Amino acid sequence: MPNLNINGRNMSVEAANDTPLLWVIREQLQMTGTKFGCGAGLCGACTVHLNGEAVRSCQTSVADAVGKKITTIEGLSAKGEHPLQKAWVAEQVPQCGYCQSGQIMQAAALLSKNTNPTKEEVVAHMDGNLCRCMTYSRIQKAIMRAASDMRTASATGSERRAT
Amino acid sequence: MNKHVKNLAPETTDLSRRSFLVGTAATGLVLGYAGSGIDQALAAPAAANFEPSVWYAIAPDGLVTVTCGKADMGQHVASTMAQIVAEELGANWKDMRVQLASNDPKFNDPVLGAQITGGSWSTMMNFDAMSRAGAAGRIALTEAAAASMGVPASELVVRASTISHPKSKKSMSFAEVVKSGKATKTFTADDLKAIKLKSPDQYTMIGVSVPQLDIPLKVNGTAKYGIDVMLPGMVYGALVTPPVRYGATVKAVDDSAAKKVPGFIRAVTLDDKTTTTTGWVVAVANTYANAKKAAAALKIDYDGGPNAKLSSESLLTEAKRLQGLSDSGQFFVKDGDPNAAFGTAAKVLEAEYTTNINIHAPMEPMNATAEFKGDILHIYSGNQFATRSGAIAAGAAGIDPKFVVMHQMWLGGGFGRRLDADMMVPAVQAAKAVGKPVKVIYTRENDMTMDFSRPLTYQKVKAGVDGDGKLVALSHDVVSAWPTQRWGIPDFLSPSVDKKGPLDAFTVNGSDFFYTVPNHYVRAIKNEMAHNATPSGQLRSVAPGWTFWAVESMVDEIAHATGKDPALLRVELLDGKGKNDGGAQRLRNTLLAAMGLAGYGTKQLPKGEGMGVACVSSQERATASWTACVAHVAVAPSGEVTVKKLTVATDVGTQVNPDGIRAQVEGAALWGMSLALFEKATLKDGGIEQTNFDSYTPLRMSQLPEVAVNVIANGEKATGVGEPAVTVVAPAIGNAVFNAVGARVRGLPITAEAVKAAMKA
Ligand code: FES
Ligand code: FES
Repeated sequence: MPNLNINGRNMSVEAANDTPLLWVIREQLQMTGTKFGCGAGLCGACTVHLNGEAVRSCQTSVADAVGKKITTIEGLSAKGEHPLQKAWVAEQVPQCGYCQSGQIMQAAALLSKNTNPTKEEVVAHMDGNLCRCMTYSRIQKAIMRAASDMRTASATGSERRAT
Repeated sequence: MNKHVKNLAPETTDLSRRSFLVGTAATGLVLGYAGSGIDQALAAPAAANFEPSVWYAIAPDGLVTVTCGKADMGQHVASTMAQIVAEELGANWKDMRVQLASNDPKFNDPVLGAQITGGSWSTMMNFDAMSRAGAAGRIALTEAAAASMGVPASELVVRASTISHPKSKKSMSFAEVVKSGKATKTFTADDLKAIKLKSPDQYTMIGVSVPQLDIPLKVNGTAKYGIDVMLPGMVYGALVTPPVRYGATVKAVDDSAAKKVPGFIRAVTLDDKTTTTTGWVVAVANTYANAKKAAAALKIDYDGGPNAKLSSESLLTEAKRLQGLSDSGQFFVKDGDPNAAFGTAAKVLEAEYTTNINIHAPMEPMNATAEFKGDILHIYSGNQFATRSGAIAAGAAGIDPKFVVMHQMWLGGGFGRRLDADMMVPAVQAAKAVGKPVKVIYTRENDMTMDFSRPLTYQKVKAGVDGDGKLVALSHDVVSAWPTQRWGIPDFLSPSVDKKGPLDAFTVNGSDFFYTVPNHYVRAIKNEMAHNATPSGQLRSVAPGWTFWAVESMVDEIAHATGKDPALLRVELLDGKGKNDGGAQRLRNTLLAAMGLAGYGTKQLPKGEGMGVACVSSQERATASWTACVAHVAVAPSGEVTVKKLTVATDVGTQVNPDGIRAQVEGAALWGMSLALFEKATLKDGGIEQTNFDSYTPLRMSQLPEVAVNVIANGEKATGVGEPAVTVVAPAIGNAVFNAVGARVRGLPITAEAVKAAMKA
């Protein structure tokens, strides 16, 4: 019975070692924010974080996730108020919304390392995430907005620390 | 909408026999048509669990919950309905909530008389009904407030969920009025019709980009799609679909290896009397992962059936053969006598246009969950056509459709795919076989190879021009599978002009354009072979996605052959004469707007670049949104096309939510570009060759051009926006490619090889 650390909690699950993490998260842990889109690493709908890196949970076995910190859309922020989630609302990004958990998780991995990405960096980082509703331009805008909000927040944060 | 698609279930649409009621039920104020459940709700005010079963309810806390009978697949239609209600009701946007309807006929579309979402019809057809429902609520609340305050109702002002009396400075919130229990009023259909609605200058909510109500759920993972349904005791089904798209049968199933998979329950071979599927087997297990393992372990012996040898090439060859026969098909348009006019024309042009098979591939793969509870079959699935899908589920179960309850979910994309009901069949039959609720999830491979695809199409267009360069004759043959005929609902077919029986207008809509051409024939020809081998469906924009590809390419070819500017030729043809009066002028204005915004004809473009125009009256003549596009492309010597910019203008009459419209139009335009350049499916040995996003490749972020969307709202009636922009982009790109490098490509998708070959020619 593998033990998983997911969104800060330890949970034991019943699954064969080769079971894709995606289905364990969705069915056993009943966290359905992470989506199934292709099962082949081609769409990004199933993106979660493993130790802060964006990975495709359909291509990650449960065994590979043991001992690592898993974060899903449900755990990205306590109240759904990650700067990206706020920016996604401000820019009214989602249409059907099905791809958007994956888009946000993919973008979050980028902004956790680089809060000042260029448009080219955003495109290169996001190109594996399909959106059949074609919300790409709003996704780009929302990432830029969130990045700028994060820069402002950390600037004011350090000012505060300085005083 | 085709004029005849009106009364799919006439007995449920005749609102004249019903009264519209407003009253206070146990859970608050409810509004809706009598006979739709509300009367029972009112008669039983003590019912503890009154289910709001009508267009909207106001709870004692003042929250207004609108029930949306339309499938919400990302067009935010639920939010749009709430916005229309809120305008006339006078509710504060922050008090508005939405919920999705079940398949109860009381939620049927007030115009269509069924639950179906498509055609970019929803806003257009529900605007009036939702407005009147909102207004009726406001009137009832106002009269109740007047009684409570002891002032004349005519002196009250309703704003932001508050009813106030400026003279006495008294005011009551909606919540207080609902709690008072005094809001009770009956509206007959005539009363409703007599309500004077706001004029556009009085709008405070329509035309405002209020935040869409479903978006917060879609950024934190809480929106529930069909695939997210969890029922107690539920097990999972994984499909094994045959190598042939349609017509295969299962000869034998060997489950000896599957039995070794832990959690495996059993394999169910579908017995589909609805003929929606052929040769499907479901492996049922305790988890989806185990169901998939078991499915992979099944050894199935098939008879490939009659279509097992067919390919895209055979379908195209058959289409050409049919087109060549003089008695093929039925006439959709028959004006004048093109054949006589060709005889006297100064110039005759002839061209063939094709489109390949296209796959919907919404991001949420098809799925359905079925549960038998007593006599009732419960289906949980995001679906665009609850009325028919419920009947298919019933057919799969062998029960009467009235015992099926469809639980609508958010749709992870629809695009027409979820008008179909194939996913009901495996879920129902597996649930019946194992005696437990079953959720069937298609793999992406099942989803792609068993799509009810946009059909392969072949069109032949012949045009005659007189000595002055005037277009005097056009004959247009459209050969395809007939997606709508497949539904078996006669009301969706149209009579042919030559009285040769009904035709599927959803294969030819758009060809009845607004250009003035005195001699004009359109023939709808059914490709029976394609119809059987690749059961087709409605893919976002349906027929105008191919008819305008042909028409708008041909108009450009005529312009070039007669030495005219293609855009100005269109302006000339849109003269608004006769039956084209009104529409033609709107389309002309839209085209001129797009030209101006794109700088058409004003810029010196570098070598290898070009701009092309197209304009369309999609979806249907009677329901058109006037849409024009200027595409700016760069073509490499290899033939590779890069779209630099799409400038789209669209006249939608009235906009409910401008930001929502822009999102839809941009998404539609990018769909158009994706279909024009990147998406191609092929049939080989009876099966679809593309199985996942590595071989079927919709547009990705790195291929995104600049898209400028310009919405014209001129106060006419609200029209649909989800589809029209899909149809205008491919011909605009094709025409731009010609202007850039002189290569005329007549087949979709436009590939680098085709451009290169045409450059040489
Ligand atoms: S479902 Fe994992 S990448 Fe598509
Ligand atoms: S919002 Fe629908 S797939 Fe991205």
